[in-house]
Amino acid sequence: MRRFEIILTRLLWLVPTVVGLVVIVFAIANVVPTDPVRIIAGENANPEQIEALRVKLGYDKPLYVQLLRYFADLLHGEMGTSLYSQRPIIDDLTSRLPATLELTLAAILLAVALGIPLGVVSALRRNSLLDHGLRVVTVSGLAIASFWLAMELQFLFAMKLAIAPLNGRIAGFGPDTVTGLFIVDCLLSWDIESLGSAMRHLALPALTLALPAAATIVRFTRAGVLEVINSSSVLYQSAMGLPRPIIVWKYVLRSALISTVTQIGLIFGVLLSGAVVVEAVFDWPGLGTFAVQSILQSDHKAIMGFTIWAGCMFVLINLAVDVLQTVIDPRSTR
Amino acid sequence: MRSLRRFLADRAALLGTVLILLLVLAAVLAPVLAPYPSDVFDFHTANRLRPPSDAHWLGTDRMGSDILSRLLFGARITIAIAVIAVGTAVVIGVPIGLVAGFYGGWPGDILMRVSDVFLAVPQIVLAIAIAQTLGPSIENVILALSLTYWPFWARLVYAETRSLKNEVFVESAIALGASPLRVMVMHVLPNIASAIIVRTSIGMGATILTAAALGFLGLGAPSPTPEWGRMIAESREFLPDAWWYATAPGIAIFLVVMGFNLLGDGLRDILDPRIRRGAAGKA
Repeated sequence: MRRFEIILTRLLWLVPTVVGLVVIVFAIANVVPTDPVRIIAGENANPEQIEALRVKLGYDKPLYVQLLRYFADLLHGEMGTSLYSQRPIIDDLTSRLPATLELTLAAILLAVALGIPLGVVSALRRNSLLDHGLRVVTVSGLAIASFWLAMELQFLFAMKLAIAPLNGRIAGFGPDTVTGLFIVDCLLSWDIESLGSAMRHLALPALTLALPAAATIVRFTRAGVLEVINSSSVLYQSAMGLPRPIIVWKYVLRSALISTVTQIGLIFGVLLSGAVVVEAVFDWPGLGTFAVQSILQSDHKAIMGFTIWAGCMFVLINLAVDVLQTVIDPRSTR
Repeated sequence: MRSLRRFLADRAALLGTVLILLLVLAAVLAPVLAPYPSDVFDFHTANRLRPPSDAHWLGTDRMGSDILSRLLFGARITIAIAVIAVGTAVVIGVPIGLVAGFYGGWPGDILMRVSDVFLAVPQIVLAIAIAQTLGPSIENVILALSLTYWPFWARLVYAETRSLKNEVFVESAIALGASPLRVMVMHVLPNIASAIIVRTSIGMGATILTAAALGFLGLGAPSPTPEWGRMIAESREFLPDAWWYATAPGIAIFLVVMGFNLLGDGLRDILDPRIRRGAAGKA
């Protein structure tokens, strides 16, 4: 019952959070001294035309009316037209979401698959050469600029060794869209050739994104395991003659992972931020590339749409993490 | 004294300090150290894209300018952005967290909800929105980073202040008639200073990374400013031939961020015994 209450409270908080976000983004867009109507009207418009357009677009109304109107439009899924693609911004955002999701999901899976075992081993062999080596790697992983790492990986694996494609998401056309995630869609239609191509294209960007995330997971898993492994429950289990691997991988890991799971919400934020620049380097057709294209075009409306969209995604993911945590750690509902 | 000795014994933290000192040194002495100080703005197109040599240790860029010289002057921009942006965020965030945590009630709730809204989006996304709207310049990057970073400090200070508020020494200070301002500044703040210092060190590293990313995306200072992120962006079209072009600024960013992270870790071990226990005998 308590869990249900927590989820409900969090869901209710979602509304003021998103409203607040829209207000902030709107405020930012309106502190600039440039006149958006003049830009839309073009250089050759005369003052009468500009005024007519201003009334037509609603820019003559007070700011709060414009804000309310923006809200009303948002509720109808209306964010304006992208200067880059000449399509409705909301269509661009929805059609590009799967690409970003596929990339970040692949990065999270990679980070978890690398980070958790390495974190456990690092804790078990504390102060060994392996532990010290891993510490160097994790500290470095958090200090590398992701766009630079992306470029160096491109340089090494795509340009010099030529074992991975330079950029893009797939060679030729993508598979029939079911989920929009190419890997899943290829599997569904059993298109092995496209699957291989999609996975090769995914490898470098996912690796770039996964490195800092994996570093964070290693650190938290290591600390979590060290905290639990000296507890009396583990002493008791050893005394009862339970095999060491079962103690470690079943009991210790479960309690140790609580702090790691809390981190995954945070890590997703890191990945989402990283995706913006990494996508731009790998020409990955996701939200990040859209944002960068919109920056280059000085497309305020598209940037506003992207910010709100990313904010909503982020809030929803944190909600999911909270729910997951109440499942793993029943203590947190008390 | 004991803390200092422990700090000196922590080789990682010491390495971090050295790296940061090197950055400061590079920034201060850039005009002296740079082999071609005028190359920040001058260009010699006949000399463009030369690989590292005796004359140009780190090679030359697309304009034929000496990359080492530009890198050294770029250190000034890096420090300026990090110090001003993080400093502003601390100056905004700490008082807000302190007041909200000390008084609580609905004003505190509102302040924290506002900071929650900021934290609801990844920092760089909001920073992109702000920097893009205001137009590309170093000042706007600093503004965007400060505006999006203060909630981290507000949150931290809020949580720490709330847990300190009911401590006996705070209660007795109030009982002795100390004004709220005096209690906050003289009694609460010194006790949360270490947490703020540790966060600041790690926050500097994070801010340098974000600032470089903004520069890379073209939101920072316009060319030919020797900003490291922008230098990397400019080098992209010359891969794979001019491999040295992106290497130097990339490693510079890496070393500086690493310096702040190592220093932050080391300071945390010394200043914050609770976390030290939590990390259970970190190597």
